[in-house]
Amino acid sequence: MIGSLNRTTPVIVQGITGRMGRTHANLMRAYGTNIAGGTSVRFTPEGVDGIPVFTTCAAAVAATGAVASVVMAPPDGTRAAVEEALAAGIKLLVTPAEGVPVHDALAIGRAARAVGAVWVGASNPGLAVPGEMKMGFLPDVCLAPGPVAIMSKSGTLSYEVGYRLVRAGLGQSLWIGVGGDAVKGVRFADLLAPFNADNRTHAIALIGEVGGAEEEEFADALARTLNSKPVYALIAGREAKEGVAMGHAGALTYGTSGTLTSKTERLTAAGAHVFASIESMIAAITADLAAHRRTR
Amino acid sequence: MLLIEADGKALFRAFGIGVPDSVLVTDEVPSLPGTGPWMVKAQVPVGGRGKAGGIRKCDSAAAVAEAAHTMLGTRLRGHAVEAVLVEQTVTGAERYLSISIDAASYGVRVIYLSGGGVNVEQATESGGAGKICAPDRLAIAATLSDMVADDPDRATLMALGERLADLLLTRELVLAEINPLFVSPSGSVAGDAKLVIDLNAIDRQPDIRAIIEARPGIYKDAVRKLHEGFDYVELDPEGEIGLLTTGAGLSMMLIDELTARGGSPLNFLDIRTGQLRGSPTRIIQALTWMAERPSLKCVLVNIFAGITDLAEFSTLLADALDATPHMRVPVVARLAGRGQEAAAKILAERRPDFFVTEDLEESLERVAAIVGGGA
Repeated sequence: MIGSLNRTTPVIVQGITGRMGRTHANLMRAYGTNIAGGTSVRFTPEGVDGIPVFTTCAAAVAATGAVASVVMAPPDGTRAAVEEALAAGIKLLVTPAEGVPVHDALAIGRAARAVGAVWVGASNPGLAVPGEMKMGFLPDVCLAPGPVAIMSKSGTLSYEVGYRLVRAGLGQSLWIGVGGDAVKGVRFADLLAPFNADNRTHAIALIGEVGGAEEEEFADALARTLNSKPVYALIAGREAKEGVAMGHAGALTYGTSGTLTSKTERLTAAGAHVFASIESMIAAITADLAAHRRTR
Repeated sequence: MLLIEADGKALFRAFGIGVPDSVLVTDEVPSLPGTGPWMVKAQVPVGGRGKAGGIRKCDSAAAVAEAAHTMLGTRLRGHAVEAVLVEQTVTGAERYLSISIDAASYGVRVIYLSGGGVNVEQATESGGAGKICAPDRLAIAATLSDMVADDPDRATLMALGERLADLLLTRELVLAEINPLFVSPSGSVAGDAKLVIDLNAIDRQPDIRAIIEARPGIYKDAVRKLHEGFDYVELDPEGEIGLLTTGAGLSMMLIDELTARGGSPLNFLDIRTGQLRGSPTRIIQALTWMAERPSLKCVLVNIFAGITDLAEFSTLLADALDATPHMRVPVVARLAGRGQEAAAKILAERRPDFFVTEDLEESLERVAAIVGGGA
């Protein structure tokens, strides 16, 4: 699903009449995304900035043929909005809300899995196919078509990496912000196969954080993959305060996994290049992909 | 976020899970429950207390008072010890029971170990301990039932598991762990309580909110977040570098990179520039917390603006500093992205003392030079 997104894919914005919904609907459309419609609890027959607005997802899908949705709902309203979208037949959901309760995320995950939909989020800036479309907030200044596929738990840290890749004459093939929550939609390991299958992609950049087990899961998937594209990983949180920044929920349950050491060792053993600074990662990618650089 | 043991045990009590008689001590030790011996345990929201000297067994009231006074006021694993829990020692075989959210399967993981907590780390090291099931009462009961099928205390364990599941599901916990768990023919007693709450669910969990609000000293970072709406975490009260940053991942990375250069960051901050809405209030609040620390030598501002307008932000920053006259350390501002040129112009006029750059590496070097030069 993610690999085939392009500028013709019809996308709706749930909550389009809100301040953020309207702003980002316009920014996404300006980038090239086919924003086919939106939904709002307010009856808005005149639409918003030329975009038709419906009161339900079912009506929006019926009228526009949308298959994807950006859910601009508050954190405690995200679960209900996703359930409505899934019932209407939406197959790809991006939920940027920060602070979705964990037990709501469990319910969203189970509901999406039950109908075979792809959920990206929460607590993320969205995704992009640079040069084609974006769903969410990824800043245009960081986006350019190119050979590096990005997956990231952090929005801002990925902006920094994306921006420097663009300045180095490189760009991105696919960019998925998986988000910083513990319970989430698409996880790092889910993206290895689609990134490897994508013809535009020549390198994979993984931007992780301490906590959880996603980097370890990804390492296991990488170790099982023959002839993977090269993986460059950056893990934030070496100095994170125990029990606070990361919640520490998994520390006992998952033994030593979740620490920077564990993630670095497992990724390195699986063949990924792991870096301790943004600069060193960019330098390595730039050197290795010199042949793909645009002349500026 | 991990609750201190005393708060976890209060929730256990409310859900019908047995705990030892105890008294929470913050100053003088009052009359002790029972006849002893007693356990004296530092109440800090972090694991590994035993290894760090935060748990002691005492045979006399005098020994309890000595242990309590030794622990109170010290720091344990980065947290100030503001209270100790004194409780009657429980005897008997130690076991282990936990229920936790399993992110990858959208389920819960149930772990029961009849050999007790000693084996927990070993058993869970591989990541495969316990069994995963759906996050509902029936599934959890069925899973635990399989695990304790041959246990002579099966009925006691099933009753306990039902209450622990009820606690996890209704209070929206991330982890509920009892280690050690004592089981005897008269019932079960939780020797410890490790409960991880979900701060994002707190608006619909009034009793969890009450627990947090009741201890602003112990849950300082959480109370800050509830009241201010953004994340400010003090990493080191003697840190030298204040961070005025947005975005959790990038802020963490900057802390790592500054530390690698020999610096000592004071705080982690995700101020969320998208939520400032034209007011310098949040920036003033963060600067005030930083300025309270006499060790502060420098403030690093780092904003990568995708959507935020840096011209507006730099005006708010200058306004905030005008409103924080006690902030008297050098400021390094790395501003890149939307409105970058206008922002540099505004700051050159209003705060010519700032070092402003668009280059992150340059800003990090500059900060390292400022704090290194003063050391």
